[in-house]
Amino acid sequence: MIAARPAPSEKLTHSAWLRRNLFYSPVSALFSLALLAAVLYVLWQLLAWIFFAANWQQLWNNLKLFAVYRYPADLLARPLLAAGLLTFLLGASSSVRLPRQSSEALPARNPIARGVFIQVMALLLVLSILGLGFWQNVRFGWLGVFLSGLLGWWLGRYVPWIRRSLPLLWLLVLTVSLLILHGIKGAGADSFWRLVPTRDWGGFMLTIILSVVGIVVSIPLGVALALGRRSKLPAIKYVCIAFIELVRGAPLITWLYIASLLLPLLLNIEVDRISALNKALVALTIFTAVYMAENVRGGLAAVSTGQEEAARALGLSPWQSMRLIVLPQALRAVIPGIVGQSISLFKDTSLVLVVGLQDFFQVHNIVSLQPASLQVQGGVRLELSLFLAFIYWFFAFRMSRASRQLEAQLGVGKR
Amino acid sequence: MLRRSAQAAHARIPFYRNVKLLGVIAQVIFVVVLLVGVGLLYWNVTSALQRSRIPSNFSFLSARAGVPISESPIRYSPSDSYARALLVGILNTLRVSLVGVVLASFLGVLVGVMRLSKNWLLRNLSLAYIELLRNIPLAVQLVFWFYAIILPLAPLVSNPVGLPAGGYLSQVGLALPWLYPSYSFARWWPFLGAAVLLCALLVGLRRAYLLRQERLGNIWLWPLIAGAAVALGGLSLAPAPLPAGASVAYLADRGRGTAFIDADGDGTYDRTERAIPYARVQIAIPEAVMQVKSQNLLESRRRLQSTFRFPILKAQEFAEAEVSLEPAAQAEGLRLHFSRFPSSGVIYRDTNSSGDYDRNEELNPEDAGKRGFNSLNVTLRVTDFKRTLTADKSGTFRLPQFEAPASLTAETGANAAAAEASSRTSGPADLFARPAQEETRGSSSPADLFGPSRGGANADTPDDALAAEVTLLRSRPLVISYPTVPLTSYEGGIQLSAPFLALLLGLVFYHATFIAEIVRGGIQAVPKGQREASQALGLGPRQTFNIVIFPQALRIILPPVLNIHLNLIKNSSLALLITYLDFFAIGRIVGNQTGATVPVVVIIIGGYLLVSLIFSTVLNFVNARFALVER
Repeated sequence: MIAARPAPSEKLTHSAWLRRNLFYSPVSALFSLALLAAVLYVLWQLLAWIFFAANWQQLWNNLKLFAVYRYPADLLARPLLAAGLLTFLLGASSSVRLPRQSSEALPARNPIARGVFIQVMALLLVLSILGLGFWQNVRFGWLGVFLSGLLGWWLGRYVPWIRRSLPLLWLLVLTVSLLILHGIKGAGADSFWRLVPTRDWGGFMLTIILSVVGIVVSIPLGVALALGRRSKLPAIKYVCIAFIELVRGAPLITWLYIASLLLPLLLNIEVDRISALNKALVALTIFTAVYMAENVRGGLAAVSTGQEEAARALGLSPWQSMRLIVLPQALRAVIPGIVGQSISLFKDTSLVLVVGLQDFFQVHNIVSLQPASLQVQGGVRLELSLFLAFIYWFFAFRMSRASRQLEAQLGVGKR
Repeated sequence: MLRRSAQAAHARIPFYRNVKLLGVIAQVIFVVVLLVGVGLLYWNVTSALQRSRIPSNFSFLSARAGVPISESPIRYSPSDSYARALLVGILNTLRVSLVGVVLASFLGVLVGVMRLSKNWLLRNLSLAYIELLRNIPLAVQLVFWFYAIILPLAPLVSNPVGLPAGGYLSQVGLALPWLYPSYSFARWWPFLGAAVLLCALLVGLRRAYLLRQERLGNIWLWPLIAGAAVALGGLSLAPAPLPAGASVAYLADRGRGTAFIDADGDGTYDRTERAIPYARVQIAIPEAVMQVKSQNLLESRRRLQSTFRFPILKAQEFAEAEVSLEPAAQAEGLRLHFSRFPSSGVIYRDTNSSGDYDRNEELNPEDAGKRGFNSLNVTLRVTDFKRTLTADKSGTFRLPQFEAPASLTAETGANAAAAEASSRTSGPADLFARPAQEETRGSSSPADLFGPSRGGANADTPDDALAAEVTLLRSRPLVISYPTVPLTSYEGGIQLSAPFLALLLGLVFYHATFIAEIVRGGIQAVPKGQREASQALGLGPRQTFNIVIFPQALRIILPPVLNIHLNLIKNSSLALLITYLDFFAIGRIVGNQTGATVPVVVIIIGGYLLVSLIFSTVLNFVNARFALVER
């Protein structure tokens, strides 16, 4: 008997590859050449515009607005400190080894954290160099953030207790970061720790805060809603269904508008007692949670009934079987969906201008209406929106790539 | 067996361990907590509403809105009610999202199929398109199209890009020829009814025939052709006579008029009289002049010096046109160069004596700031100007604001360029609109028409008045309306504003990426054996795709694509960012104006929920219809 061998792999020479992929018939050859010429022409025009015709001065002058908006210039070390803490933990998360015994199919390290971490570090390196060269007030700040990322990566590798307490650490660091940004109430007017009201927060810092808090809060809320929707108790089930379908039925922008109008009414308080940030967070979180719930529901449906029956047969309580058997399998199956929803949330934060927040997107509107921008012939909208598009794309694309990598490693859809 | 033993054990289980009872108790507690919570919130809202005196009922809907809405598919004026303003919003949302759904589906399927192309370049180009655009927020894409592309890069409306078939594209948007129902549309109903009946009859006959023959075939093709023939036959009948009392009031010096039913016979249009929507009107002006000043314009991110702009006149609309500079400027050797005769061009001085305009000759060499020859008078003189146009939905139409020749005192010499102007034959006769017989109305002589607008004190002498002859034309049930450009905006045709175009572009390009991925996945999910089997049966690649692969892929593709369509409709609410007035934007304005935020919020949510509900019904239907029938 002849042993089974893998199929012979095709090794194409360059000319064979070209013939197969671009020039497989006279028409296709012409078409490929025309397409190539068109692509090169467009790229050439774009590069020529970016390097010679575009006016980047306004963008460069307003980078602080894009980063943190009106956050006091003398307190910039605080956002940097928060960024350092987050980068530290991101580094730690990307380097810890996941517990082996949980599943053979799981990758050794978390590819999502890893993908985002590498991208963030690349960005931080650029920012560190720029900071050292040009930005007086944050000269060593970005370098510090970069180094804290490296430190986190190193510690995550060699300190075992970090791995065990990662979820707790994330919650802790998020809370501490928000506190650092917010300041201490009793601090004097000139103190480094004085209060910075949330209406002065903005720019990319605000976009990150909205995304991270939104994701962290919406996942447990979504799981609860999904469980409620699957409940055998009709009262709970139908209330959850009604809530999910109601929120899903209208676009996010209307919920943001409703939050800005109705939250003060619902709580029966003065309009300015609740900050725009909280209004936006409530709307974003509930909206995302509902979509998370639909994702999780799909995952719950994918776990076979036998799993739960086996757990019950082993004497686990319904709650235990859900927590230990069903939910872990369901959540693992829907990690790509959850990441996709997180990307959506990240993109959707661009709508918070409806409640009056100055996030990254809204800062671009503000900058493009500055007198200096209006003096530029034809305005600077093209430059600013390309910059905006690049930054959003940079993060969203990295996350979607990492999610697809994880999907491949988990073998979702293959088993 | 198991159940019986459980029942037997039932009696012995204490109530705090009875799962059924516990479930009931949990539900009761849940409902009570929920009711208390909702009640608390309701009490909060009502007391807050009372305290702040915010209106909380729907009575504001019938009040006068006063909201100016620039584009609306139905007749709307700011004096209409809030309810009508909201209706316009709904229609605007539906208009942009339905067009968007169709275009996004086409583009999505195209890109999805391209993703599987044999051509490496095409394959990766479509991959790049998908990965690029779906990872950029829609908000960013919308402001990109509107504020960064259309507004700064498109030409001004006074110098639009002419599209084939008579369309125009400029900074204010796109205008295309369009069909509208005329006053005689009712005459077409019998033909339409007959067409539908005939079509249904033929479909029934053909279906029975095919069943009897046990053959497969297309049921719809021939019945549809027959029905269309009947409907077109109804269109080609002689135009109907104008309704009794049909008249037209034209204010020649203002360049605007109205077609209406003259109920009281005084020849003027009163508010109480009924307008004739989409009336065909022919205006003939024997001789007219118009004067503009040359200026510098910012167009397409470039500064254009020494530019003059007249309304767009087509060559077949006039017998002769002549554009001339003021004599003092001519004496200095300044000349005119046309980029579009006779509507736009630049003033230049032939410094290099080439006999023609060359680059930078429009700049004044004596001016240190490199500016042009601005603020010079340029005069356009046309003879035998004749334009046939279609009024809008409220019966009004606009023309360029010509002046009478006598109003210009200074006569200017002939310009060399004027020689180019000669009347050309008009384009091909169009089936729907060209009148078989013209019907001149008695009230169209110019002296009668100036009456209403001109007060007694500052009435011009008849010499100074522009002579114009206005004729209301008979029309067939459908009329073609061609867009025209009376200087600052489009008139006639169908007008798609710049915010509409930007919203459409953003929505289509963004959502097509998702549809493309679904289409690719769906095609790849069709088992390989299907393709191989159809090739073995001798089908060509195109046949294989069209009748074997794609129909099976459609089953997988359709449900998620319908979800994307729903997302597209909901995402059209981002119109707010680029000043397009959709349902949400108008609702927000109404809420801010009336203060009745709670009722407005209820209306907005209700509107979107209704659309979602309709879509999920369709989705369920599709799922049931297309599901694989399994044994």
